[in-house]
Amino acid sequence: MSTPRTAHMVTEASRGGRESHASRVSRSALEWVRDHQDSFRLPDGEPALDADANWTLKPLGELAQLTFSIRAHSEPGSARHGHASELLGFAWDQTRQGGLFVDLLRGEPFATYPLEIYAAFAAAGLRHPGFEELAVTVQRTRGWERIEQEPNRRLGMLNSERRVGLPPSGDPSAALARTWLGGLPEPWTFERTAGYWLTHVVFHLTDWGNTPRLMPAELGGYLAAWVPAWLDTCLEAEQWDLSGELLAVAAILPDAASYTGLADAVETGWARIADIQDAAGGIPETGLGRPHEPARDFMHCYHSTLVAAFAATLADVRLAGVHPAAVQEGVA
Amino acid sequence: MVGGTVGTLADDQLGLAAVRVLGADVLLPSVLTRRRPLPDDLAVFQRAVLTFAPGATSSETTVWSHWGMTQTLHRLDAPATGPGAGPDASWLEALEWPKLTHQLSILAALAVPGADSAVAQVAADRPVDVARGFVRAVRRRDWLQAAGAGRWLSVIDGVPETLGLDTGLEFVAQMAGADARVGLHVHAAQHIRAESAVNAVSAGGRG
Repeated sequence: MSTPRTAHMVTEASRGGRESHASRVSRSALEWVRDHQDSFRLPDGEPALDADANWTLKPLGELAQLTFSIRAHSEPGSARHGHASELLGFAWDQTRQGGLFVDLLRGEPFATYPLEIYAAFAAAGLRHPGFEELAVTVQRTRGWERIEQEPNRRLGMLNSERRVGLPPSGDPSAALARTWLGGLPEPWTFERTAGYWLTHVVFHLTDWGNTPRLMPAELGGYLAAWVPAWLDTCLEAEQWDLSGELLAVAAILPDAASYTGLADAVETGWARIADIQDAAGGIPETGLGRPHEPARDFMHCYHSTLVAAFAATLADVRLAGVHPAAVQEGVA
Repeated sequence: MVGGTVGTLADDQLGLAAVRVLGADVLLPSVLTRRRPLPDDLAVFQRAVLTFAPGATSSETTVWSHWGMTQTLHRLDAPATGPGAGPDASWLEALEWPKLTHQLSILAALAVPGADSAVAQVAADRPVDVARGFVRAVRRRDWLQAAGAGRWLSVIDGVPETLGLDTGLEFVAQMAGADARVGLHVHAAQHIRAESAVNAVSAGGRG
């Protein structure tokens, strides 16, 4: 474990002044997640596979991924660090300290999702030797190397392998080049689906904001130019989850302050997200939200709220003037 | 204009008003091809400019649209209509990029090669913002605004290459269908871009 560099980490006291929208969202969205921890519980009995996984394992995997990233961007000893750690521990316990992943892998040895979800825990130092033993064998096959999947997902697989310490099954630059974002497409060809592709390319490429310097400079410049336009239209279309993901991308960009208009677009975005949040901190995936509609259920809110907690944490750290490179990386 | 048809209505307030509503783009083909319009057309245009001078309560865009007409006359060497200093454009400078693009699009008739108005200067100072506005307009399926923004982007430097303006203009024109206003701006933009590409090549040849 490396020594966390905490000298410049943000604290409420050091920030001073009025709380930013991002700071408030980072706190209240994480509160919502904590209040809904039980809803992330896996059903009793055999792990739900296939279609059901979208409603059980997927939320739990996102919980692990995003609370790990939130913790990595939080000062040890802070409330945020503590909350994120508790949620990550809860998620790990839900997997029976990794035992679930062994079952999943035995059931579907050449599915990639067990490794992808496990990798978030492994990056946090939560590991299961039995799982890794089988994963190494599976991962050595030519079949694994040639699994057909969306290009952004391939990047995610490579990042998962890196986190677990497996040899890479491909070249990240080549994988990036095959993605929508990697081609620096005309920004007006952006649509909702492309939005999810591109945000996930950024997340996988930078290990969910832990290593922003891994983003090629040309890509950073491209994103800084066009994120404001995409964000504006996603906010207008009330796509809060994608807006949150784009705000996370903006917070990951190296040298974001040097790009004209990006900071204003980000500030506007956080003001809208803060406005849509309900009293408990929840954020619907789409639609007008609490001020205009009845409160939504867990499945309609968990993703947007988790993403907002993650993105707002990155933004909060950025606003406090802490360079992302100074954030402890992958520290358990 | 329409081969003197409007000219025969030279004293007709309706015809003059129609020319004023259409604005400087009535003579755009002459401006872009640097050919003098028919004298009758020019005369009607000039009468429209003189008849419908903006007043104290006119909106900024109306004032600028009128100024654009006087500037067009000046470019075409029509007498007694010197361009004078352009109106104030500081109201544009303060606008965020979505509103800036919207206003610029309304004033797209001012986007002509060599435009040196204060409005053109604001556009020239903010190429990335106008390009973002183009993207936003396409995303919102506001083809008219996209076409107007695209026309501005064809006359300013510093537009990010990744925008893909040429394909974008084609896309906007086709998605808009038979909208004449969209067609006007897109064709103007394409003409300007084709011409500046030719100029760039011949300048390179001389070098």
